[in-house]
Amino acid sequence: MRYALEMWKNTRMIVLVAVSAAIYAAALIAFKTAIPLIPGVTEVRVAGIFLMTFGILFGPAGAWGLAIGNLIGDIFGGTLGPASLAGFFGNFLLGYLPYTMWLNFFPFSERDYQWNVKGIKSWSAYISITVISSCSCAVLIGLMVDAIGIVPYEVVSRIIAVNNIIGNLIGVVLLIAVYDVTKNQLGLVWTDIMGIKPDSMSFRGILGSWLVATGAMAGIFAGFIPGLSVNLVSWSSLIFIIAGSLIL
Amino acid sequence: MNLSLYQDKGTWLHNLDPRTKLIGVAIVFIICLCFNSPIYMAIIAFSVFAIALSARAQKALWTLRYILLLLIVFSVILWPFFTTGKTLIWSWGFLRLTKESLFYGIAMGMRLSTFVIAGLILLSTTKNEDITNGLIKMGMPYPLAFAFSTALRLVPTFVGAGATIVQAQVSRGLDLESKNILSRFGKFIPLAVPMFITAIRYTNRLSMALESRGFSPESQRTLYYEPVMKIKDWLILSFMLILLIICLYMRIFLNLGVVMPGRL
Repeated sequence: MRYALEMWKNTRMIVLVAVSAAIYAAALIAFKTAIPLIPGVTEVRVAGIFLMTFGILFGPAGAWGLAIGNLIGDIFGGTLGPASLAGFFGNFLLGYLPYTMWLNFFPFSERDYQWNVKGIKSWSAYISITVISSCSCAVLIGLMVDAIGIVPYEVVSRIIAVNNIIGNLIGVVLLIAVYDVTKNQLGLVWTDIMGIKPDSMSFRGILGSWLVATGAMAGIFAGFIPGLSVNLVSWSSLIFIIAGSLIL
Repeated sequence: MNLSLYQDKGTWLHNLDPRTKLIGVAIVFIICLCFNSPIYMAIIAFSVFAIALSARAQKALWTLRYILLLLIVFSVILWPFFTTGKTLIWSWGFLRLTKESLFYGIAMGMRLSTFVIAGLILLSTTKNEDITNGLIKMGMPYPLAFAFSTALRLVPTFVGAGATIVQAQVSRGLDLESKNILSRFGKFIPLAVPMFITAIRYTNRLSMALESRGFSPESQRTLYYEPVMKIKDWLILSFMLILLIICLYMRIFLNLGVVMPGRL
């Protein structure tokens, strides 16, 4: 969480927040009414292809960019409401977890903060974090919109999870296409902009990653655990996700 | 390209301070959460709808008419099967429809529509810059507000650039008309790559322009436009606050406006 706060002192990172928010919002607006899944709440999110790319390349700026971009999408789309707050935090997680778990989600994590298209570690990190971040976002948004009576948790959480996973998996093509240009030509990978070397794997990082992963999986499969109430499991899952995210 | 829902009509709502409208909308959201009875929600929904008409937001409402209708239909169909009540109307296998859950579904449909209409009132009577100014005055950190307002300004530019890229790719034979969801995702990639690179190049240019003008995220700021709270703003906020207290009292102490106890 440290870098997500420290980045606000860096002009280039602030601009990167604005640019990534604008790209994400533009894609959301362009496809907002294309294929609605739950009218006014969620739709087939073609913009989902940007999620992991922003998280990995822009780190904290990508996380804030996705959160603000989603809010702007609601503003221009006319669906601003209490669910927008849930969307803000959920989309923040979609950008926050990729860069914080990239080196810490043992045994799936990458050894260095880089994307190597030929490396199995990069692929295992990408796919595993795709699933975890998508499910974490789905649990958070699902619980908040269920609590305020917008859509039942069991319906919306799975739609959001599947939607984001598909977007992220297809989005790997975007990451492959733009990684080299962004890193070597434009020098806009967040670690280079902030002049830091991300902490390598630590006990704290592994604990945080696994807390988030446990919460995300339990939250999504809450309805399938016999003898346990969906409410109890999903709210406990959210506590795990928040605690893990704060530790990371 | 103008994407904003703002309409310059000069009504009483347009002339309010952005902070009054932001806090007012937040209060309306909380009031909506106080009740889950269709009668109470109908009263709130019609009141908010009347305010929208007085703000002359009909055009924005008309644009979103299908979403509003679908929200109600969707809630009425969906919620009854995920909540339970005492008075059984119909059952088939594990599916149970009760009077309370049906009423709850209707109330939730109206609540959702009220959320959308309240948000529309804010957006159609307040310029994006005024929303940002209001948020800064309410204590939002300046770097965050700067990123937010810059993104708001860039969105139409990027949507325009996106439209140009779409036209260029379609002229090269890209078929975007397919109805298959997965293929639609995939077909967005050839559009997303140039859109991403075009936008990202902007980052370095904008950063250099800001730094050359001495931009510092941590320095104290003054605003060219300083919103001022007038008497009418305070009166409206006081009225809204009293209304909120009454609604909270009705829900918490009198248990009024509830068809589904234990749920918001």
